[in-house]
Amino acid sequence: MTILYDEAQQAIATESRRVLDDGYDLQRLLDLVDETGQHDERLWQSAVEQGWTALSVPEQYGGLGLGLVELGLIAQGLGAVTAGAPFLSGNDAFVQLLLAGDDKGTREAWLPKIAAGEAIGIAALGEGSSPLPAEPAVTYADGKLTGTKSAIAGALQADVGVVWASSGGSPALVLVELTKGMRRAVDSFDNARLYAELVFDGASASVLLSGDPAREAARDGLARQAVVIAHEQTGGAEKAMQIARDYALERKAFGQPIGAFQSIKHRIAELYGLVELARANCIDAAAREGEADFVLKACAARLSASEAYDTAARDAVQIHGGIGVTWQLGLHLHMRRARSLAAELGSPLFWEDLLVGELEGAGA
Amino acid sequence: MIDLDTFRADARAWLATMVAEFGRDARRGLTDEQDLALGRRYMAAKYAAGFAGIHMPKEFGGRGLSGLHKLVFDQEEAPLGFPTVYFGISLGMPIPIIMKFCEDKAWVRERVIAALKGEEIWCQLFSEPAGGSDLAGLRMKAEEDGNGWKLNGQKLWTSHAHQSDYGIIVARSDPTVPKHKGLTYFWVDMHSEGVEAKPFPLLDGTIVCNEVFFDDVKLTDGQRIGPVGGGFGVAMATLMIERYVASDADGFGPTIPFFVDFASEVEFNGRPAIEDGRIRSAIARNYALRNGLRSIRDRAFLMMEAGMEPGPEGSLSKLVSVRSRQKLCELAIDIQGGAGLAYDREAFGQEDWIASWLSCPTGRIAGGADEMLLNTIAERILGLPQDHRPDKGVPFNQIPA
Repeated sequence: MTILYDEAQQAIATESRRVLDDGYDLQRLLDLVDETGQHDERLWQSAVEQGWTALSVPEQYGGLGLGLVELGLIAQGLGAVTAGAPFLSGNDAFVQLLLAGDDKGTREAWLPKIAAGEAIGIAALGEGSSPLPAEPAVTYADGKLTGTKSAIAGALQADVGVVWASSGGSPALVLVELTKGMRRAVDSFDNARLYAELVFDGASASVLLSGDPAREAARDGLARQAVVIAHEQTGGAEKAMQIARDYALERKAFGQPIGAFQSIKHRIAELYGLVELARANCIDAAAREGEADFVLKACAARLSASEAYDTAARDAVQIHGGIGVTWQLGLHLHMRRARSLAAELGSPLFWEDLLVGELEGAGA
Repeated sequence: MIDLDTFRADARAWLATMVAEFGRDARRGLTDEQDLALGRRYMAAKYAAGFAGIHMPKEFGGRGLSGLHKLVFDQEEAPLGFPTVYFGISLGMPIPIIMKFCEDKAWVRERVIAALKGEEIWCQLFSEPAGGSDLAGLRMKAEEDGNGWKLNGQKLWTSHAHQSDYGIIVARSDPTVPKHKGLTYFWVDMHSEGVEAKPFPLLDGTIVCNEVFFDDVKLTDGQRIGPVGGGFGVAMATLMIERYVASDADGFGPTIPFFVDFASEVEFNGRPAIEDGRIRSAIARNYALRNGLRSIRDRAFLMMEAGMEPGPEGSLSKLVSVRSRQKLCELAIDIQGGAGLAYDREAFGQEDWIASWLSCPTGRIAGGADEMLLNTIAERILGLPQDHRPDKGVPFNQIPA
């Protein structure tokens, strides 16, 4: 697949940016910071209207049948506005895992609903600090699921999930309908991500895939989700860099714009470098899906996007000086989001290890 | 046009037949002169085999393929350690510039073919003692002399000048106007009377750079490239080409797979070094960084193929890649501790941590220091204000020295 965006893809990027900019509501986002279980419903409704929920669902199930590139472009837009509705990547991961299984009934039951925005899905793979433990502690036996999954973005509002579990000594991907009693809200520094632990106490569930095919599907699903989130991080990083640049042009000190001082302008130039490297890695990874080195490329995208967003958010605040640390300016939305996105799907420490493992494997 | 995979296979097959005669092992123990002679033979063989001037137009003796074909060949050739270093600048900047700007096409064709065959070498005479980062501050004088010109002054840091037959040069033709406006661009015959190149060693012991003195060197007006007073523009065009020529995701140093092999073989704390989390972290981060650069470069080439202007992010490569190389070299030496102190003076920079480390500072300064690149990104791409420049708009001869 080419790494140049075609016209349709460019149009998706432009149009999604326009919709997101139109709906941007800083006050709403600030309010969401302190409330658990709340998200920006208006934004989510426009996402559904725009067909973003249908984007990666195959056409036969009422979707648009588009790919990771298109999804990434929307995610970039969502990242730029620190969107208050965390469903894009979870929905897509759910869809991919359902497609990896061979159960036609579950696909027909859930995919049209996901595409229409009538249901929200998630992939619940991680436990503790690992986004994909080799031997999950959550167990499946006799149609029942038991154990706890670590904080999953979007889980507080999700209707259905695919869960990574152990079943009689081998791994399995298991479909479970989520109810209120299973969701334990995590009151976090970025509540708009709707984090919840999922606690299963004999919840009724069904196996989609087991053994090595499950392991492979989970790994690919995780890599794909990492690429989507990396796009979101890149969008956020680019926006934070632009905000810093604009402020450096406008704010004057010592008789000139602060952007004329090399300590400021070089710092912003370094951010530009990080953002472009992250973008390049995202584009590369999105084009490599299905190839042998997809996981490796996903690791690179995830790592460089995490670094870009953390650094851009941190430096944007620093460049603003005092005004940067006020509640009302809202720059902290980027600072919070940079950290939450970096930590929620396996932190950079995890992705570093995975990347080197892939390189070692390639050499062996 | 031959597809890239077939082309790669052809290139690989041909290169394999060249290793015994021109590879790293064949070069061990050669003097600089012998190595250059070997390099000329390699270039001639390359020309005969159709792998020279891969992306240059056929009318000038090139093969007329795409930039991606050239890139593929370079990827296959670089790890073999052939003696090509003498021709990199020559074919990279001066040759494209004369192809683009010189009007005597028959003469240009002769020069291009001679350069491709390694018979002639071109150098780039830009920097001076008083004009490196501040290129437009250069002082080399070009005075009108009859129907032609006369050059007086000194260039510095000129790579391969002592081995060159021709050079491209920027000189000050009018000191009474602001500095960017008084420059004119020429080509010069390095064998002309009054040209003297004096090579000197850099900190890693390599002898590549020269001071070059010009003492009443006569040029015809036909040697002028671009309009009188338009030299800065042509110089910028040259540096734009350089941005892509002087671009390698590994910063022309050892690759990440090479580091992975190294860290798997060498032990730290009684275990393979690659098992140490700090080392894994460094590998992963540097891989991600270089993969990003590769993606930027591939995208730029695809865009050029498609007739589009590549994005400005291409300017990141030199800035980012050499820093990455420098840190990874330091880490490789650290891992070995006392065992990392031994230094083989003949080691190949792409396969030796110390040789590579010693030449990193050059990479961060030559062709635009890191700080200048950051300024360029900040000002040209991001629209941030220029630095305070007391010499701005001031006639050159009124700028306080």
